[in-house]
Amino acid sequence: MSPLDPRLQEALDGERDPGELPADLREAYDRLIAAAHLVSATPHLSVASRVMAEIRHTAPAYHDGSVRRAVRWLGRPRAVTVRLRPVWTLALAAGLTAILLLPAGPGAGPRPGVAEGVANFVGHFPGARSVEVVGSFNDWRRGVLHLNDDDGDGVWHGAAVLPAGQHEYMFVVDGERWVPDPLAGRYVDDGFGAGQQNSLLIVRPAESSSP
Amino acid sequence: MVNDGAPDVEVVARILGGDGEAFGILIRRYEPGLLRFATRILGNPDAAADAVAESLVRAYRHLAQCRDPARLRSWLYRITGNRCRSHLARRHTNDISLSDAPPPALADNTDAWAALERGEQVALVERALAALPAEKREAFVLKHVEGMSYDEMAAVTGARIPTLKMRVHRAREALLAALEEVVR
Repeated sequence: MSPLDPRLQEALDGERDPGELPADLREAYDRLIAAAHLVSATPHLSVASRVMAEIRHTAPAYHDGSVRRAVRWLGRPRAVTVRLRPVWTLALAAGLTAILLLPAGPGAGPRPGVAEGVANFVGHFPGARSVEVVGSFNDWRRGVLHLNDDDGDGVWHGAAVLPAGQHEYMFVVDGERWVPDPLAGRYVDDGFGAGQQNSLLIVRPAESSSP
Repeated sequence: MVNDGAPDVEVVARILGGDGEAFGILIRRYEPGLLRFATRILGNPDAAADAVAESLVRAYRHLAQCRDPARLRSWLYRITGNRCRSHLARRHTNDISLSDAPPPALADNTDAWAALERGEQVALVERALAALPAEKREAFVLKHVEGMSYDEMAAVTGARIPTLKMRVHRAREALLAALEEVVR
């Protein structure tokens, strides 16, 4: 097997007019195009009814129970705790984002339930118009967990009471740019095969850190 | 009610808003290409149908995780490609067996001879495709059967464009060599 003439590769890549190819290369060009055409027929199959039957019996995208979940989330008492730490300052200086996972302490307002903890999200996004967090805990639903930057310094923060355990999440900046948390420390493949990763957080139950 | 010609972004928003039946629009739109793609990767229509069905159900369940609904096609191909790779891995080989290749379809009697001839040609190309390593086969199919740009192929496979170009170039060389071998 010998390498193909670069002119033939360019023509097949659409970077060169095949009409300019010499006769032997044009013949090879036509043969490859014809070969591709031969296997371009669409199979006489359909999985539509099977798929529709399946999804009618499974949880739809994120609307199943999402209203109830959103109401529950909105009505749930939550504690917001922001602690400044040297590492946090360093992270900001580096232009990175950080997430702090802190159990609610005594006097920090309404406590999470026994099997819940508080996740504080912090990210540095100077110039952003909006930042929100989507994740497995809110069915990747947009518009549920917005971060705030009240003083306009580019540091966005917010908190949520989450069930204890492992959650995947991403920041969504300006409603369109999905950004993993560079300081999450743990990441998992998003499962869709292109090597993209979600950030991973582990929420400890608030009760477990109580004295 | 969203119509069949609505842009993907609109259909996705409709589904995420609770209209699960609107997913049928996306199935009608992308099922043929996904089945063609999976059949060429797996070499077996039944396995391809399973892979595409599983991929579409997965896409529906995780639709909210589609980061850019305007590029839904790439996302669906990515999920399907991933599912095909899982199928191939379960077979412990990247190569598809010739017995898996779909048989040529014969038309009515008047066209039988032409169909047989075409069927033989199709089988020949399928045999040459089947002999390629899975990554090169996938790259060739995305480029020349699905007609994707290298940008879109990168979104589908997660591979870099120079890598994809190399795979396509190598696949062309191997295919052309295999076809010439038969002609001799």
